[in-house]
Amino acid sequence: MELISYQDEGQFVSGHVACGGCAEALAMRVILNTVGSDAIGVVSPSCSAVICGGYPMSAVKIPMFHTTLESAAASASGVKRALVAQNKPDTTVLCFAGDGGTYDIGLQALSSAAERNEDILYICFDNEGYMNTGGQKSSSTPLDAVTGSTPAGKTTRKKNLIEILAAHRIPYIATASPSHINDMRAKIEKAKAIRGTKVIIVLIPCLPGWGVADNAAVRTARKAVEAGVFPLLEIEDGVNYRLSVSEKGDSIESYLKEQKRYRHLDADHIARLQAETDFEWRRLQQRVADSPARNP
Amino acid sequence: MNVQQSPLWTTQTSGARLTGTWRSALPDYRFTPSPCLAACPVNGRIAEWIGKIGKEDIRGAWETLIDNNPFPAIAGRICHHPCQSACNRQYHDETVSICALERYVGDAALAEGWRFNPPAEERGERIAVIGGGPAGLSAAYQLRRRGFQVTLFDAKPKLGGLLRYGIPDYRLDKNIVDGEIERIVDLGVEVRLNAEIADAAALKKLRDAYDAVYLATGATSSKKLPGLDYNAPWVVDSADFLAAANAGNPVATGERLVVIGGGSAAMDVARTARRLGKRVTVLSLEPEDKLPAQRVEVDEAIEEDVVFVCGAMMRAVRPAAGGLALDCARVEFTPGKKRGEFAITPLENATFTLEADAIIPSIGQNADVERWRGLLGVAGPVIGTDGVWRTSVAGIFAGGDVASMDRFVTQAVGMGKEAAVEIARFVMGETAGSGFDVGPTLPFLEINTHYYPKAARHVPATAAVGERLQGFGEVQERLAAEAALAEAQRCFSCGNCIFCDNCYFYCPDMAITKLEGGYEVKSDYCKGCGLCVEECPTGSVRMREDTQG
Repeated sequence: MELISYQDEGQFVSGHVACGGCAEALAMRVILNTVGSDAIGVVSPSCSAVICGGYPMSAVKIPMFHTTLESAAASASGVKRALVAQNKPDTTVLCFAGDGGTYDIGLQALSSAAERNEDILYICFDNEGYMNTGGQKSSSTPLDAVTGSTPAGKTTRKKNLIEILAAHRIPYIATASPSHINDMRAKIEKAKAIRGTKVIIVLIPCLPGWGVADNAAVRTARKAVEAGVFPLLEIEDGVNYRLSVSEKGDSIESYLKEQKRYRHLDADHIARLQAETDFEWRRLQQRVADSPARNP
Repeated sequence: MNVQQSPLWTTQTSGARLTGTWRSALPDYRFTPSPCLAACPVNGRIAEWIGKIGKEDIRGAWETLIDNNPFPAIAGRICHHPCQSACNRQYHDETVSICALERYVGDAALAEGWRFNPPAEERGERIAVIGGGPAGLSAAYQLRRRGFQVTLFDAKPKLGGLLRYGIPDYRLDKNIVDGEIERIVDLGVEVRLNAEIADAAALKKLRDAYDAVYLATGATSSKKLPGLDYNAPWVVDSADFLAAANAGNPVATGERLVVIGGGSAAMDVARTARRLGKRVTVLSLEPEDKLPAQRVEVDEAIEEDVVFVCGAMMRAVRPAAGGLALDCARVEFTPGKKRGEFAITPLENATFTLEADAIIPSIGQNADVERWRGLLGVAGPVIGTDGVWRTSVAGIFAGGDVASMDRFVTQAVGMGKEAAVEIARFVMGETAGSGFDVGPTLPFLEINTHYYPKAARHVPATAAVGERLQGFGEVQERLAAEAALAEAQRCFSCGNCIFCDNCYFYCPDMAITKLEGGYEVKSDYCKGCGLCVEECPTGSVRMREDTQG
């Protein structure tokens, strides 16, 4: 079996207040230790802000700047420019935001920073809803998922932020999953070495928000990857697509069954979600096949 | 470049907050026996030694193997491998080729000339072991390893018993037998050959002269088929036939042989006869899918053109033109509750005749329990023993075929090991053990199969049929090094920690510390989520309730 390998340098500390079994804390551990100590963080209101720690405690060894919900990318841009002005261009500026702060409220700031190609590493912890405020829907909530504000299931699709970002032609976009730690580590390392705007979207199955068992966040994320619901991909320069897991299973049912938010679905709904997943997977494969780097 | 943490932003890290108070359950690292260990007649630590092969530590694998079995090269060839039938991997794709791996290690040890370490301390107690077959040798080995003075008596001119005289070379090369026995003798076992312990009086005398006696004389007389004239020149005893062929001196018979029986010995006779150029028919009461022989033996016999007439019995033999005519009838076979028990009903309207020049009944072996009459109690066809191999006489233990109807070689090896444990207790004045049950094993559902991508099993190659029938060369080949490594890596290591660090890396609370040879849970921080248990590939961590006070 493939062993997990990275060095935990103690960049993320015990005693944080993430729920027991939280995959976001797990992902933060991988990301913070891979990024290392020469970094400054910017975090918008979200679970990650709470996990990093409210004053006077911090679970994170790097300095974290807690900013407003709409301005994570803008704040990070400012921090980076200040560092450059101080002749510290190599210090990584790391941005933590949730899907609410990325897909919805922070999208303008992110789009602007991406358009300017600001040198920031932007991590979106995507738990597909406003889970820190009690579980309302966001524009990242997928079709049919039940949230506090979509009690019968959401009637619209998840926003395709990846394609929006790709349209900005930023140097690096990736998706990552807490079930694939080596892959996540490799993507962070790669992103860290690139100058310009890098965005990594990490899928976080939210234990209370999705109705997932305390021990099942990693398993659920793995099933999302294996079913093709959340493909692990990289996009360089907005056009070169690559899949880290290039095959998907036949059925999304096992993934859906892990979660209470899909419990109301009947066979017709499941078939429709399956068809959507298959369709998106085929489109993605086509993009991989059409990538200029593969067809020089 | 190190950025200094400024005291402006925070006053302390979150380490001061003890999130362990949230918890109601705590992970618990514990070894659980794998199903293969429980099924193994010697309770070998299979997952452990296979893990060592996976790390290319063949010497280490051998050291683990020989804790329970001094015969890995022999067992790897002929064991009936209940381990493989119990293997959890079969519920994922296919069972692990445990036998082939054991042979791989056993052959390496012989090729490299690895020897057993002498006992850590010598002890004065003297033990007599009677019978140099698998049970006796196993007991002698285990006792000698514990430092006891062991004298091994055997009636034959060479050690090995069934291994030497009963199993043909094409299944078990005698150089292998010699090599693995020599290592045991070299541990300092005093061997007395051609030394038959003739009767109860002689046994009693031996008991008086030694601190304990282990009786493992095997089952050496062939069971008799009722109604068959054993004095007829065309009836050949199966044990004699095999012993003569193994000694390179085959018994002269006619061309057409009928072997009666469906067990391993019948297969050995049939396939030996094929190698001697005979035409062979096997006649068995059991239908083909219920033959007591191992399936691979039957399959290889079929490949070698042994004709099987299963689910039938011979009712009479009469002389016929140029040989014998066997009057046979099909039977209805009903298996009984225990292995070896059955009921048969001949079907009168389904009779037929077989032609032959000689008949080799091969329906099993009886233990000679009469020899010890008046001294040792008897339980049915064998010497009576309790759960820890004690006979009716204090200080005399028995095992192997003389004391059990479990008649596979490795079962005898296991009995020898168990008896050695009990003999050691006896001579040192300790209380007898309570048996050898290993307890519940790890169920398949506790394996996280995600970490084990499906992979086809590696099976050793076999020699081509034409080549096999030219002589007595071994049929099964040794796994190649790459195949052995890949096969070892298929093992789930059920209930045996492989130190993969998944529990450490998947903990969102950094609550697991890596130690030398294990892990420790920081109870100050563990929130009790169970991710470490869920992501453990091998089922070596479990949650237990933790009321914290």
